Amino acid sequence: MRKLKKAVSLILTVAMTLSFAACGGSSSTVASSSAASASASASAAADSDMSYVQDKGTLVVGMTDFAPMDYRDENGEWIGFDADMAKAFAEYLGVEAEFLEINWDNKLMELDTKGVDVIWNGMTITDEVTNGASVSEPYCNNGQVVVVPADKAADYTDTESLSGLTFAVENGSAGAEQLDELGIPYVAKTTQADALMEVASGASDACVIDLLMAGAMIGEGTSYPDLTYTVQLNSEEYGVAFRKGSDLTDAFNTFWKEAYDEGTVMETATTYGVQESVIEK
Amino acid sequence: MLLSVTLTLLEGLGTTLQLFALTLLLALPLGLVIALGAMSRLTPLRWFVSMVVWVVRGTPLMIQILIIFYGPGLLFDLPLLPRFGAALLSFIINYACYFSEIYRGGIQSIPKGQYEAGEVLGMTRSQIFFKVTLIQVIKRIVPPMGNEFITLVKDTALVRVISVYEIIWMGESYIKKGMIWPLFYTAVFYLVVNGILTLLFRWAEKKLDYFR
Repeated sequence: MRKLKKAVSLILTVAMTLSFAACGGSSSTVASSSAASASASASAAADSDMSYVQDKGTLVVGMTDFAPMDYRDENGEWIGFDADMAKAFAEYLGVEAEFLEINWDNKLMELDTKGVDVIWNGMTITDEVTNGASVSEPYCNNGQVVVVPADKAADYTDTESLSGLTFAVENGSAGAEQLDELGIPYVAKTTQADALMEVASGASDACVIDLLMAGAMIGEGTSYPDLTYTVQLNSEEYGVAFRKGSDLTDAFNTFWKEAYDEGTVMETATTYGVQESVIEK
Repeated sequence: MLLSVTLTLLEGLGTTLQLFALTLLLALPLGLVIALGAMSRLTPLRWFVSMVVWVVRGTPLMIQILIIFYGPGLLFDLPLLPRFGAALLSFIINYACYFSEIYRGGIQSIPKGQYEAGEVLGMTRSQIFFKVTLIQVIKRIVPPMGNEFITLVKDTALVRVISVYEIIWMGESYIKKGMIWPLFYTAVFYLVVNGILTLLFRWAEKKLDYFR
């Protein structure tokens, strides 16, 4: 009797395993076929990404709190050079702009999965974003600068002098790429602001952040009066990212040219003190 | 300044507590179902349940959150779940598996003699379980459950990877304004919530102190 029970349970187990395997097989074919249909529908969707956005009536803008590009005014409303231009672009499309603070590490996933419709947040055009998204023509110049305590700034005026310092930098950022190229080791942080905090607290000697951000966030009259920036490591450009193959990229480029010609771009840029960085169209 | 930061952090704490409460509400019963599955007399079912528990307990909760939120969109081009819903779903699955092991430990710690006595008295298996075993199990699992509840409060911080604005997200957002202390200040809120939980558990243990 006992043996019989054992045999039965063994048979059942084998049957289960096989049926699981079968499930696995069939579900993987389902997965691949649906992946195929997904890519088919993705290309179909890509043709009509603009009508997708217009149908739902909102342009979801993925961003972070990043003055002077995107930040909140006293009433909690999102403002800034990027935020204001995003609202204008949404109006141009005939939809509402909806701002969503995202985890910057996941920006491309957010875009892919339609968590957001556009990434528009002082985004440096890097290989990572050009490979993973459809990026607009550049609209702003930027660079990566080294931030150090103001009283030590005089000692660090060129890239050679940087080798002895300990660095903090945002993980995967354009600044991190620059340090990699120079062969300088660093502590990777989640945001540029975290990297600044490292320097402010003395945990690291220096950090690398965007020139635009440095202009707005450090030095006299800001939250970090004792910090300053010295060496500029490179120059780079800001762009706006849409889903791969999206027709919104062209719509954006046309919109931007028109807005530039009308003077809206420079007017908005002047409001937020970034007029020097805007690229002429 | 302290007041406005406190108010902002309380807003984040609201999200944290919602996630905490809803997770408990749904994971506690689901955990019991999983525990019963893990002790089932059906070998294949038992194996299947153990496999699920192994996978869920053996992988980082943060990855589970990312998979549940982004997975459907990345793999099948499906619309995403709401952010909070995806966070809640991952927590329910994860915590139900942990709870199931606590239930199983509690249930199996009841002496076999009690089942035999119940059978002798003509009770059915489910009668024995609900009228004799369960009430003793509850008493025995209170201390390990207290541990899990407290861990759950703190684990909710993970949901900020999918942009659910819980209290640490709110605290971190001040760093960009040059204020570092609000992030550390969030610890006080966790401490208060867990202090209350600790007192509740102490009270519960006292209330349940009747069998011996």
